[in-house]
Amino acid sequence: MKNIYITLRISALMILTLLLIKSNAIAQEEVAQDSTVQEAPVERPVRPAFESGLLFDATTTTVSPSKTLEFILQHRFGYIDGANDFFGIWGASNIRVGLNYSITDKFTISAGTTKMKRLQDFQMKYKVLEQTRSNSIPVTVVVHEVIGFDARDASTWDQNEGSPEYKFSNRMSYFTELIVSRRFDDHLSLQVGGAFTHYNCVDSVYDHDRISLSFAGRYKFSPQGSFIVAGDFPLDITGIKDYKKDADINTIIYDKPNISVGVEISTSTHAFQIYLASAQGILPQEDIMWNNHDFFKGGFMIGFNLTRLWNF
Amino acid sequence: MKNSIKLIAIICTAIVFVTANMAMAQKAGGPWTVPAKYKSMKTTVKAGDASINTVGKETYNKHCKSCHGAKGLGDGPKAANLKTSTSNFSTAKFQAYSDGEIYYMSFIGRDEMPNFEKKILDEADRWAVVGYIRTMKK
Repeated sequence: MKNIYITLRISALMILTLLLIKSNAIAQEEVAQDSTVQEAPVERPVRPAFESGLLFDATTTTVSPSKTLEFILQHRFGYIDGANDFFGIWGASNIRVGLNYSITDKFTISAGTTKMKRLQDFQMKYKVLEQTRSNSIPVTVVVHEVIGFDARDASTWDQNEGSPEYKFSNRMSYFTELIVSRRFDDHLSLQVGGAFTHYNCVDSVYDHDRISLSFAGRYKFSPQGSFIVAGDFPLDITGIKDYKKDADINTIIYDKPNISVGVEISTSTHAFQIYLASAQGILPQEDIMWNNHDFFKGGFMIGFNLTRLWNF
Repeated sequence: MKNSIKLIAIICTAIVFVTANMAMAQKAGGPWTVPAKYKSMKTTVKAGDASINTVGKETYNKHCKSCHGAKGLGDGPKAANLKTSTSNFSTAKFQAYSDGEIYYMSFIGRDEMPNFEKKILDEADRWAVVGYIRTMKK
C-alpha cells in the first residue's frame, strides 16, 4: 500500500516538473522567436473562472495576483437533523480561519487552523496553465497540495490496548489535486479535479488512501451574485482499500460524496458564500475520507464562508 | 425651572449634532496631478463597443458602485463614510477629462481612492470601465 502511495506521489511530482520545464521551454522559444520575427500578438488570459480561490471547502483555479493577502473564515453549523438546535445553528459547529498569500501571480501559499481535530493546515497552489481569450489554451490548470497536521493530544493515538506506539507522523494527512477549469462565458464556469488523499494513521478498519473526483460550478446571475455548486466523490477502488465492509457490523462506513449548493455574493475585496453542505470537515481530505452523511437523504448543514483581500 | 432644563438639554443636543456634523463634513478632493504618460493614453475600446455594457458595466458594478453609485452620481452607500466627496461622473466638468486622465484617477488612485491595478488586471477591461463611465454623461 505504501508503495502505491509513494508511486503516485512521485508520478504527481514528475508531471508537475515536466509541465514546469515545458512552460519554461515555451517561454524561451517565444523569446528566441521575438528576436528574429515580428512581435507576436499578446495572449490575454480570461477573467478568473471563479470570484475567489475558495468555493465552499474546495479550491478553485482562481489565483490572486502577486502580493495579495486573503483572510478566510469558513464556518459550518451542526447538521439539520430535527434536533432542538434551530436547524443546527445551536449545534456543534466547525470553523476554519486561514490566510492565503500569493507569492507570484501563479503561486499561493496558505496556512489555517480548524476547530475539529485541531487540524493545522499548510497549502500550496500553483497555476500551471491559464485559459486565454483567444482559446489557444482552452482551460486553466492548477495543482493543489494540502498538508494537514492533527494537533490533538498524543493520547488520541494510543488510547486502545494494542495500539501501535505513537509517532509524530501519525498526525499527518495529505491531499493532492489536479484541477482543470473553464470559463465558458461571463456567466458559466465549471471545473473538474482528480485527487489523492492519504492519512498516515487511521483506525484498523479504515482506509489510508483514497482517490476522488470533484467538480464545481458557478452560474453568475448578476454582477455580484452567483449560484454555486460543488461535489467531491470518493472512488471505490479495490486496489487501494484497507477496510472490509463486513469487518464489523457496527463499523461506520465513510464513503458518501461531499455535496454543496449555495449562493455567492462578491464585491471588490470580499466574497461571501452561504450554502448547504453534507460534510463538516472543511479541509478537503477530511471531507473525502470521513463523510458518512448523504446530502440527498437530508444529511446536510448550513455553512458560510467570508473572504477579504488586501493588495500590497 | 423644568422647562429651562428641557431647553438647555435641547440646545446642548443640537450643539453636539451640529459640531459632529461639522467634524464629519466631507472636503472636496483637490485637483489631480496626472503624469503625462497617462494623460496621453488612448482608449482601446471605442464608444459603442459591446464590451462597455457587459464587461465595463459588470466591472464598474463590482468595484466602483459601492462608493460612486449606480449612475456615477457619487451617492453609493459607502460614499457618506469617506472624508473626501466622490466625483459626479455625469457632469460636463468630469466628462471633460481625457480618457487617460479618467484611467489614472480610476485605476492608479490616490488617498481614499484605492488602486485597482491588481483587481482589474486586463487593460481592455479597464478601458471598458472608462467607456462605461463615459455613458454616464448627462
